[in-house]
Amino acid sequence: MLRVPYVDFPAQFAEERAELMPLLKGVFSRGDFVGGAAIEALEQELSAYLGVAHVVALNSGTDALILGLRALGIGPGDEVITPPNSFVASTAAIVAVGATPVFADVREDQNIDPAAIAATITPRTRAIMPVHLAGHAADMSAILSLAQQHGLVVIEDAAQAIGTRIGGRSVGTFGDIGCFSAHPLKNLNAAGDAGFLATRDASLAARVRLARSHGMQDRNTVVSWGTVSRLDTLQAELLRLRLRRLPSVLERRRQNAASYERLLPPGVFRPTPLPGAESSFHLFVIQVEARDQLKAFLSGQGIETAIHYPIPIHLQPAAQALGYAKGSFPRCEAQAERILSLPIHQFLTLSQVEHVAVQIAGFLGA
Amino acid sequence: MTTVRYSYLAQQFADPAPILAALAQLVATGDFTLGKPVGEFEKAFAAMLGVRHAIGVGSGTDALKLPLKSLGLGPGDEVITAANTFIATVGAIHETGARAVFVDCEDHFCMNVDQAEAAITPRTRAIMPVHFTGEVVDMTRLMAIADRHQLPIVEDACQGILSEWDGRRSGTWGIAGGFSLHPLKNLNVWGDGGIIVTNDDAMDARLRLLRNHGLKNRDEIELLGCNSRLDSVQAVIGNWLIPQTGAITEARIRNGAYYDAAFAQIPGIRVPPRRSGVKRVFHLYMVFAEQRDALFEYCLKHGVEAKIHYPIPLYQQKGLKELGYVAGDFPVTDRHAREVISFPVDQHLTEENLATVVEVVRAFYQKG
Repeated sequence: MLRVPYVDFPAQFAEERAELMPLLKGVFSRGDFVGGAAIEALEQELSAYLGVAHVVALNSGTDALILGLRALGIGPGDEVITPPNSFVASTAAIVAVGATPVFADVREDQNIDPAAIAATITPRTRAIMPVHLAGHAADMSAILSLAQQHGLVVIEDAAQAIGTRIGGRSVGTFGDIGCFSAHPLKNLNAAGDAGFLATRDASLAARVRLARSHGMQDRNTVVSWGTVSRLDTLQAELLRLRLRRLPSVLERRRQNAASYERLLPPGVFRPTPLPGAESSFHLFVIQVEARDQLKAFLSGQGIETAIHYPIPIHLQPAAQALGYAKGSFPRCEAQAERILSLPIHQFLTLSQVEHVAVQIAGFLGA
Repeated sequence: MTTVRYSYLAQQFADPAPILAALAQLVATGDFTLGKPVGEFEKAFAAMLGVRHAIGVGSGTDALKLPLKSLGLGPGDEVITAANTFIATVGAIHETGARAVFVDCEDHFCMNVDQAEAAITPRTRAIMPVHFTGEVVDMTRLMAIADRHQLPIVEDACQGILSEWDGRRSGTWGIAGGFSLHPLKNLNVWGDGGIIVTNDDAMDARLRLLRNHGLKNRDEIELLGCNSRLDSVQAVIGNWLIPQTGAITEARIRNGAYYDAAFAQIPGIRVPPRRSGVKRVFHLYMVFAEQRDALFEYCLKHGVEAKIHYPIPLYQQKGLKELGYVAGDFPVTDRHAREVISFPVDQHLTEENLATVVEVVRAFYQKG
């Protein structure tokens, strides 16, 4: 049976091992495990890649959201509008700074609906946090014009979206701050938790740089409140290597997506990216009836799939205090029953993609 | 020309081949997030300390913050801690929304326990003693105070791995204890890392949720948490070093004893009081010096990489202004800021290195 794994770490390591090991040895011989020169180099390389003035490396994508919100001055009494179908980190970050998440439903493409945002704005709204889910761009021009109209800041959750562009411009650079994850399962991935934040605003970047290391300006001077959220130097070396390979990773993912588009039976719904946008295809999400049966069937055929995410945040026990209920966000809730993420990673062969498509067609009787 | 350097990382990892091999093995499996090495490290750490649970987190700071969060602390609450600590202690308290209330320290570098009791108000929700430099707070008395006022203790044991008060290890007295695994700590990894110990099953369960987005499983979120996980990569290093921790500790204690004896003979240096019943692990070797700033410069010029922990007390830092303290509020801490100096004390120092440090200090005072 042809096995199709959802992720393939051994393949990734095999591809880069020869280049990686000397880099790790370098960190040892220098002993600069925290805040070494590799951090700054990575930040500059990411700035160039994203086309943004400042990048600040952090310990996780979650921390990028938290420190970003704090740098923007968002706190108790403030409302932040965000979609309910993200990974929980988006919502948890808002709660972590003491603000209140306010959900707005999504469109067919699973991204936040600007019309729903408009209907959700109150006098307490301070920010919009769109999520570029699956690597598909949210509708930034509509979101930015709403923000401008109402005097709101925009903090983009681009955790799944490095490489995603709208009109050639990287997502994460449209709003005041863009937050990225380099978690092991992301397109640009470290070997542990990692993340970074992008902004064109020098003073925001400076605030986050202070906050990530205890608010310390130098070894002896504390100028603001802070925390510890530093990217390990070791991970920075790995990410520098992988950033050089990112264009080819994206290329292979896009080819896989194109193959799915060609091969999947017509009855299988998949989101259409925003016009003019290029997706990073962090995930390839289809929508089908009988999703759970299909998932089980594919699993039986050696094909690993995943669901991002089966229970919307507003229906989680953790979010009860926010006061939503089943029915609050019908589109998001309907999608949660139908979505299925197919393997899309860069190590898939065409025959694996074909195999997945054929099995799905077989199951659906198409 | 540095003859006695402060950081020993180049020596400690002079032969990284075995760890790199272990690391390569891990990278190939992709077991990066709360993977097998993390579980193994937590188990070994708990066994080393003799506690039920150890929970690996992203940093020592988070090892202090998460237990406070787990206790439900937030805005309006107060946490009593030492004025002479590192910023992480206070930052962790602030991040929960609670307010740090400082008490002064004594010459052994730990908090003044009488002042801790006097600082209790109706808003006090926890006490966070700091086992600063690897010294240990008088936990017998502090526990009695905490019991009397029914307050939980979360120990800042970031610098105190394997230190003891009255035969009991730091971090195991309170409801929880937080440790740092930062590269310069006695048990260190290759980046930021921390670990929390507790004997309380409910605390353990909450901490495991809090550090991992509140995820009960892949799909169900029980509470809104954060992302603060000890990386598997770092746990590989931890597992490699944990069998050496006892020997590292003993080497530091020997080096500390060497300095204590030698500095007792140098009139310009005052060795802090060494209370009996304390197993101090010398994360830092810190003494009081006459003409401290001049001695510090002299040491650097003569190849001894001394440090000062810390020249500006936290309560006088610009970033902590909102706590409302003013110069003179903590006179002992102030005096320490003027008088303390730290010398390299790590396990890789040779006896010749130690002798060099002592000679440079002696020469400074002899030249007058």
